[in-house]
Amino acid sequence: MNSSLLLSLTTFGYLFCTLLYFSGVVFRFAPLLRWGGIVGFVVLAVQSTGIVLRWVESYAMGYGHAPLSNMYESLVFAAWAIMLIYLIMQWRTGQGSLGVFPSLFAFLAMAYASFSTSVDSKIQPLLPALKSNWLIAHVITCFFGYAAFAVSVGISLVYLAKKRRALDSGSEGILGFFPEPKALDELNYRMILFGFLWLSLGIITGSVWANSAWGTYWSWDPKETWSLITWLIYAAMLHARSMQGWRGNRVAWLSLVGFACVLFTYFGVNFLLSGLHSYGS
Amino acid sequence: MGSLKLALFNLLILAAASVLGTLLPQGASQEDLQAHYSRAAAGLIELLGLQDLYHTNWFRFLLVLLGVSLIVCTIQRLPKTLRLLRHREESPTRAKLLKFSHSKEITTVLPIDEAQAHLTRIIAREFAPVRSLESTAGYAGIAEKGRWSRLMVYVVHLSVLMILLGALLGSVFGFKGTMNIPEGASSDEVALSSGHQSMTLPFKVRCDDFDVSYYDTGAPKEFRSDLVLLEEGKEPVQRAIRVNEPLSYRGISFYQASYGSTVKQAEVDLTNQDSGKTTRLTLPLGEPMTIPDANDVIELVNYQQNLSGLGAAVGISLKKGEETQPFGSWILVDQPEFHGNRIKNYRIKPTGVDTVQYTGIQVKRDPGIWMIYVGFITLVVSMGLSFYTSHRKLWVLAYPDRNRTRIIIAGRNNKSSVELERKLDGLYARLHEALNSDEHTKKARA
Repeated sequence: MNSSLLLSLTTFGYLFCTLLYFSGVVFRFAPLLRWGGIVGFVVLAVQSTGIVLRWVESYAMGYGHAPLSNMYESLVFAAWAIMLIYLIMQWRTGQGSLGVFPSLFAFLAMAYASFSTSVDSKIQPLLPALKSNWLIAHVITCFFGYAAFAVSVGISLVYLAKKRRALDSGSEGILGFFPEPKALDELNYRMILFGFLWLSLGIITGSVWANSAWGTYWSWDPKETWSLITWLIYAAMLHARSMQGWRGNRVAWLSLVGFACVLFTYFGVNFLLSGLHSYGS
Repeated sequence: MGSLKLALFNLLILAAASVLGTLLPQGASQEDLQAHYSRAAAGLIELLGLQDLYHTNWFRFLLVLLGVSLIVCTIQRLPKTLRLLRHREESPTRAKLLKFSHSKEITTVLPIDEAQAHLTRIIAREFAPVRSLESTAGYAGIAEKGRWSRLMVYVVHLSVLMILLGALLGSVFGFKGTMNIPEGASSDEVALSSGHQSMTLPFKVRCDDFDVSYYDTGAPKEFRSDLVLLEEGKEPVQRAIRVNEPLSYRGISFYQASYGSTVKQAEVDLTNQDSGKTTRLTLPLGEPMTIPDANDVIELVNYQQNLSGLGAAVGISLKKGEETQPFGSWILVDQPEFHGNRIKNYRIKPTGVDTVQYTGIQVKRDPGIWMIYVGFITLVVSMGLSFYTSHRKLWVLAYPDRNRTRIIIAGRNNKSSVELERKLDGLYARLHEALNSDEHTKKARA
């Protein structure tokens, strides 16, 4: 048994999980959602084992570093963080229907990591710049933030669909199986607060790291700048919500914009712009 | 200035400007711009300083504006919050409490003083100590938790201000620059990043050795410089620096940043084309030499490992005796017979070049960094507290109603009320249990 086998299983596991959630919602059959949660939990455990195993394998190869150092490893970790945060939410709220998007995102991240030709899955040695304990703190905090925003996007999409449907006609179809808009809005807000806290921590750990590696805590590198842009947008949204009373639609739309920035920070900067983080591609 | 709309607008404008900065090449020269953009676009970019956007005065102005609006918001709102926290609650009426989003009513057969004892004990145990309020109807009290939570948002804003101020402090009173020190050599000259100035350190830095090691894949594993600091004839510090392992001394930090090779000395054959005479000279870097039997001075001033794809080249300057200005040219080392290897009336044929590896060190002093780090810590802590704590108030009112006691508990929260609702439900269950146990009821019936 090795890490790549476990991580391949994870990819298909999340696909199965997505199908369970999806059919649960489509057929309005709650036990399927519960099974989605159980399968999600099992796959998460398999994936955790895979990640730990990859860590161990890197020591066996003589490189010895946490599996958080390149595009492949970060995608795997992103999928892990999305499912972890979502499953905790499902466990605490008892809402299984919202699992459709998080499990889909986790599957897509794993599938992209495994099947894209531009993502190398080999364990590579660490470049001198990455040899720091800040690597672990920085990547984990950033991706917890990203993952929370991904879960929030799922909630926002459901919210917007429900609102639109409510305007068009009385009947809600498959959307009826999701929580009420007010509950979705509250859940979305809590998820964004959580993500914002982690994103702030991610930017701060990155900044402290940069200061110890290069002697500058902020150098307007494209990745830094885009993470700041994302932070500014979510900050604006939090202020608008608490002080201007923005709710529902506007918050949901801003969550989509914020997540688009997250995606650009993650992928766009690597592929379209160059800078300090180019080893991430 | 204190308006939230303006602050929001400011945040979004900062975001938009930052986007622009990542789309345009930062640090591009005038020629680069003219090569990539139309004349009008290049002109506009230069006019607004978009090729160095984050250091333009208008971008700095936006950052200052953010700081100012944070200060003004605080000045406007903090007194209100403090007044709210200092405000002494008046005794609530039953009607008022029942209007709260969370309120519960309990009736008990216990007399009011016994009920009050139970109430204060249970609420103190489950929530917070109860403070009695004056009441004409019976007993009234209030318990609250997390008053300070209302202040956390101000701490968040203060932290952002500290970070901005720390950055300002660093840029005004600190410096940042680079030193390229050849192996075995020492230097105290720092080429500053801003402008073309340099500054002298109060001590010298010597590089004893620079070394790159590689993984078996060929990727670099480690860049290491063995540094020695020299001060007044002593060597106070002797240490290796690596990427991620800088060295700090007297507030100045040294970071491993780059490396390369530079020339130590070059040997050339000089042919005076007027006389046809050839002399072999060894030119140490930066030391002017007088050419024998002539009044001309020659100096090795520069070196490039690869000049425009033509291989290594040495930069040589020559000053003719009668002229005041020296004349310089790149002389190709790898193509010694190149026809352009000449200055004035001398043919210059390089015969040997001694190169030496140098280490590139980033040097900086940042007196604002502690403020930034303190800001980072308080930002995260206060943000967490302001997201996950809240100011919760619980009122209790008990008054005799015929031969029973009627009790109302009502709560209010400055944030999401789900948690408070749960707390109130739990409290209600406990109170109900204590006040209406079978024993009391039986006693009352008897």
